Amino acid sequence: MSTIMPSARQRSLRIWAFWAVPALLLLLPLATNAYTQFIVNGMLISVLVTLGFTLVIGNLGQLAFANTAFFGIGAYASAMLTAKFGLPWIVTIPLAGALGALGGFLASAAALRGIRSYYLAIITLAFGELMRWAYLHTKPLTGGTDGLPLPREVVFGISLSDDTLKFYIFLGVTVVLVKATLNLMRSRFGRSVMAVRENEVATASLAIPTARVILVTFIWSGFVVGCAGALFARHVGHVFPESFGMLHLIASFAMVLVGGLGSVLGAVLGAVLLTALPEYLRAFPGMEELFFGLIVAAVLVAMPMGLASLLRRLSPIFVERYYREES
Amino acid sequence: MTDLLTIEGLSVRFSGLTALDDVSFTLEEGAVRAVIGPNGAGKSTLFNAISGYVTPTSGTVHLYGRELTRLTPHAIAEQGVRRTFQNGGLFPALTVLENVLTGLHAQTEGSFLDILLGRSKALKSEAENIHRARELLKLMSMDHMADTRAGDLSGGQQRIVEIVRTVASDPPVLLLDEPAVGLSPVARAQMMDIIHRLAGEKGVGILLIEHAVELVMAAADRILVMAAGARIAEGTPEEIREDRAVLEAYLGHS
Repeated sequence: MSTIMPSARQRSLRIWAFWAVPALLLLLPLATNAYTQFIVNGMLISVLVTLGFTLVIGNLGQLAFANTAFFGIGAYASAMLTAKFGLPWIVTIPLAGALGALGGFLASAAALRGIRSYYLAIITLAFGELMRWAYLHTKPLTGGTDGLPLPREVVFGISLSDDTLKFYIFLGVTVVLVKATLNLMRSRFGRSVMAVRENEVATASLAIPTARVILVTFIWSGFVVGCAGALFARHVGHVFPESFGMLHLIASFAMVLVGGLGSVLGAVLGAVLLTALPEYLRAFPGMEELFFGLIVAAVLVAMPMGLASLLRRLSPIFVERYYREES
Repeated sequence: MTDLLTIEGLSVRFSGLTALDDVSFTLEEGAVRAVIGPNGAGKSTLFNAISGYVTPTSGTVHLYGRELTRLTPHAIAEQGVRRTFQNGGLFPALTVLENVLTGLHAQTEGSFLDILLGRSKALKSEAENIHRARELLKLMSMDHMADTRAGDLSGGQQRIVEIVRTVASDPPVLLLDEPAVGLSPVARAQMMDIIHRLAGEKGVGILLIEHAVELVMAAADRILVMAAGARIAEGTPEEIREDRAVLEAYLGHS
């Protein structure tokens, strides 16, 4: 019996590895300047955006591209609730998540009506463009092309324009959402999500309500990405419709693929790498896009299963599991 | 013996074509009933109509007297009628253990929120089910494969894991759709042994579609012969062997 179980040591190593990352990150502001801190904050947002995206297209296997719509909904919800309704920004994070979840619910309606693959792709892309159109044409609420600035705020006596303070808040939100998502994936829910991807007909034969699995996955994805939107609104301080277009969608898609489709770890790696990469490429003015494209292509050719597959080969603690044996 | 499954007048018509024509029978506790017939006889339609993948045009399906007709596939499975699939229903990217755990979905406690927050209620139930899944794999001598991807197993191993997954929740009724297709003689013997044990020791009522004649003759108590959607004969293996209608259906007029 003991030989077939992943060893207790391996399990504790995995828990250790997970918590060591945020623990070390607490010290990061000591090593950054204002500019690099801003980049790192953007990274945390990308981690959540990529995580929500990979759940739907990787784990659930649905070709749905409404991710940027969830992101925009979250960002505008947070901006509007702070600027127009005077709510403290912190409070708008879960509210933006809830509205992102509503977006997820709407996107899932298409999938649940039996619209799949390319048809789902085009209908969800249209959803994203429709949202962008809405931001542009509801000027009294969203500011239209002028965008919507967030008011200045002070928390714990520190201005919310301070990137170090934002970093700690972003880090907290990111860790909570990544951990919660891991809890979900390492449970009967995560198994059901994978099962629907692999064989939806057989999944139903196991007393698993497949429609509910699809619905809840979209809702959770929308929640995570909606929260990321709220962080983004504070990160840039002023939301514009252009931030939520095809460019953002394609960039998130690249992060999902470079990290490894359907992998929580991959979402983190892909987001970090592809947020950092353009900064390093600034050393080659005029060639940035070319190098960026080449590097993405090279990673995908060398590792079709993404960066996460590299770590999996290094140590079994990085293998994605859809059950949880702790406690 | 207790009647488990009662099928009455079950018919399925697709725009003029009668795929299943007024089929009735009962399946008792511990019974193994084979359904045989040439291609297109309606065997798979019968399975799909019982398990909810095809809506019957008329007729009823009852389990323990409770009506299952027109319920969704997952609701029928939850009631206790579980099935396997002809072309294999395993989830290749999940491990053997994870596959078996999907069979225990309805037995795992904890709400979405319990799971999300990692509450002990959800974790405890998960741990119990993991334990159970490992025990079941051990019974089939598959425990050393628990962490192997299901897609990496041999065809015979996949069939066995699929059966373990299907019976993990202790369903009273099991529908096996060609469990021996593509199996080696050794694996076939093992499959037969599994069927005998499930029916004999656990009292599972088994409905079996199978083309391998020797397996049908050895495993089934009764055989239902179908052709063109309808029942043409029913009886013990000995009776069926002698039946003229069956010979004609299979061999043409001789």
